[in-house]
Amino acid sequence: MAKAAQGLVQRLVQRGPELFGAAVTYSKPRLATFWYYAKVELAPPTPAEIPRAIDSIKGLVRAFQSGRLAQLTVKDALRNGLVATEVLMWFYIGEIIGKGGIIGYNV
Amino acid sequence: MIPPVQVSPLIKFTRYSALLVGMIYGKKRYDYLKPIAEEERRIEAEEKKKREELERIAKEIAEASEDSILK
Repeated sequence: MAKAAQGLVQRLVQRGPELFGAAVTYSKPRLATFWYYAKVELAPPTPAEIPRAIDSIKGLVRAFQSGRLAQLTVKDALRNGLVATEVLMWFYIGEIIGKGGIIGYNV
Repeated sequence: MIPPVQVSPLIKFTRYSALLVGMIYGKKRYDYLKPIAEEERRIEAEEKKKREELERIAKEIAEASEDSILK
């Protein structure tokens, strides 16, 4: 057992650079793709976009009041629900940052 | 490659405000819970000390009242 573990560690040390290189070559194109999309899709709103966002919120409130929101198709409602869930998850990411720990409140 | 989607400003805005609100909420709640947990720990330590003291006394009494010829 100990010998096997030793062998494993030795092989890992010998092949370490090789494995590291493989990890880099694997993740490089994927990270490039991620950045290509993230730069546009995950960017924070520009100051010019904020008034438009507030207008959209007002439009959403009006749509709710006029009952137009209840006339969405199930597909659209489901999609909106998923988007709302995503936004909620951003809140939890913020909470994790705010409390300074991933698991619970480490008080 | 498919060009990236132009995300609606509403989604972007709510995302980042949710992130900010979450950060503030997490910080506030952490600062609220921290002193409570510290107080609890302090009381726990005090009680442990008291319990150990009592156990020590009980042991001493038991040893003193023990009439053994092996002593």
